[in-house]
Amino acid sequence: MARILIIDDEASIRLLYSQELSEEGHEVAEAANAAEAAEKLAGGTFDLVVLDVKLKNESGLDLLQKIVKERHNIPVIICSAFSCYKDDFSAWLADGYVVKSGDMTELKEEIKRILEKRKGQ
Amino acid sequence: MTWECCWTKNEVSDEDCPLLGEGDQELRVSLRRRFVEKCLECPRFRNDLHKMDESGFPFAALLPTLVDEYLNQKAQLQSMLTFLDSRDREIKFLHELSVVLQTSMDLEEVLSVAMTAITAGKGFGMNRAFLLLTDKDRKSLKGFLGVGPRNYEEAWRIWEEVNENDLSLKEMARYFHNTKLLSEKMKFFDILEKLEVPLNETSHILIRALVDRKPILVENAFDNPQVDRGLTEILGVGSFLIMPLISRNRRIGVLIADNCITHKPITRQDLQSLETFAFPVAFAIERASLYERLQEELEKVTAANAKLQAQQELIVKMEKMALVGKITSNIAHSIRNPLMVIGGFARSLLKNAAADDPKREYLESIAVKAGELETVLDEVLAYSDAMHPAMDMWDLNQLVARVSEGLRESDKGAELSLDLAESLPTVFIDFKQITHCVRSAIAKIMELADTGEVRIKTWQDADNVVLEIVSQRPVSNRELISRAQELFFTADQAGAGLGVSLCKIILEQHGARFHFGESEQGGARCLIRLPIRKER
Repeated sequence: MARILIIDDEASIRLLYSQELSEEGHEVAEAANAAEAAEKLAGGTFDLVVLDVKLKNESGLDLLQKIVKERHNIPVIICSAFSCYKDDFSAWLADGYVVKSGDMTELKEEIKRILEKRKGQ
Repeated sequence: MTWECCWTKNEVSDEDCPLLGEGDQELRVSLRRRFVEKCLECPRFRNDLHKMDESGFPFAALLPTLVDEYLNQKAQLQSMLTFLDSRDREIKFLHELSVVLQTSMDLEEVLSVAMTAITAGKGFGMNRAFLLLTDKDRKSLKGFLGVGPRNYEEAWRIWEEVNENDLSLKEMARYFHNTKLLSEKMKFFDILEKLEVPLNETSHILIRALVDRKPILVENAFDNPQVDRGLTEILGVGSFLIMPLISRNRRIGVLIADNCITHKPITRQDLQSLETFAFPVAFAIERASLYERLQEELEKVTAANAKLQAQQELIVKMEKMALVGKITSNIAHSIRNPLMVIGGFARSLLKNAAADDPKREYLESIAVKAGELETVLDEVLAYSDAMHPAMDMWDLNQLVARVSEGLRESDKGAELSLDLAESLPTVFIDFKQITHCVRSAIAKIMELADTGEVRIKTWQDADNVVLEIVSQRPVSNRELISRAQELFFTADQAGAGLGVSLCKIILEQHGARFHFGESEQGGARCLIRLPIRKER
């Protein structure tokens, strides 16, 4: 299974992701902001990042650019409450885009799709 | 001595004076008046003077000279009185005319007054008049209006009509304006059409009058080498006058007047009178034309202003809508996160709950309701997005195929059969919004007919690309089909009820026609007609 970094400023959402993705057999790490995310990314190897667009006082899309720039090999899925960022050029850097929902099926399938794609490369 | 004339008698009878007639009763008893008015011109009095001279009466030889001189002076005085009287009438007429011309801003009214003044007996009394005006490009003179009779019968009828009604010049002009202006134009259409002279043709007599700024009295036109033969033939008369209309160095036009019916000679005095009248007419025509143009410009400015106001209102509205969209989007974000947590944890707990756990029902309820609220949020956000379309050329078939693929892969049980026309023209749409519409329409039809079996067809019809979505099964509750377009109406309480009504709003913004109703087989049917390459 994969090592996934969840970046979201809301603790309850991070908890939900951790619980759901751990049940799927993934190893999950959490970051509440860009600094924590940078620290986690520097300290370990991750197979995938799930990133919120809106972080407290920070832009998830700026962080996405930084991740892509510095760590070319990590795929990123944007998970946002907004569907409109799909049309934002910056969001196109991500490998996937999922609108937040209590039904996590779409997110899980997207993770699966991207990881399988990576495995095949 | 016996006198032949009655100049010695205080009272006379009709036999005493051969010059007395009807209405001369007072003269029978007034020697002084009779002597001045009758005796001095009577041959009998001349005979008496002769007798006086023969009889050696002192000064008798001088008296005939004095009488002749008196009569001559009297005739001159009478002539001057007649002249003064005609001038007085002319001044009154010009005053009446100038009052109307100075106060009118209506070009047609000015022309009616001017043309009536030329042709009315109370005016200049010409039989017929033509007005030629300089065209807007200032390149030629063109026949604009003709007034007067075309033949003797018509002339007779008009004169009888004028005598019966006894209208003032102003009343005649108003009558002409209200009833005859158009018919006169039509009556002389054949002549007016031919009356066109380029302004650079300076040898033409009409242009010459304009250039020299002087009226011309044309006589013997058929034999006059200075008069254009074509003009004489068009007018059909040998004598006419040409009056240039000039206002502040501006060539307004030319008036042509003639006596084509009575053939009364046109005098120099006629020419002079018309010359006095020409300037106020030219000025009034120019002013009315300028006023007309000003009105046109004003209308344009008013229309532009109204358009600008509408645009401003639209901008304000759009700004408000953009603000509403922003607020909606932020609220939706604020709601979606906690909703996700509630729904997510409920689902998570549900997965781990035993089948007989009494809390399972509550958790299921929380998960379902959270899901429904998410659907409402999606619709509200889609509505907010609809305010800002991103238009481009798209292939509708590609859009339909993509939506169908998505629905087939979802867990909604869609069994869609596609019948897409080949070589369909592209349409100018917001891909995302129309995708939302097509997806919503298919979902609604599936929900109403309670089936996933839906047929989707596209084709071209004249200037439209048409998309039809029909359920393969009939809808049991027909009322739901007609109510589906109602704003906020939901059949199953899921969603905000914006689905079909939002589609309608989006499609109307695209200039498309949208119909949601019943198919011939009783199924639910949606028909969308999108205009081809019609950019907004």
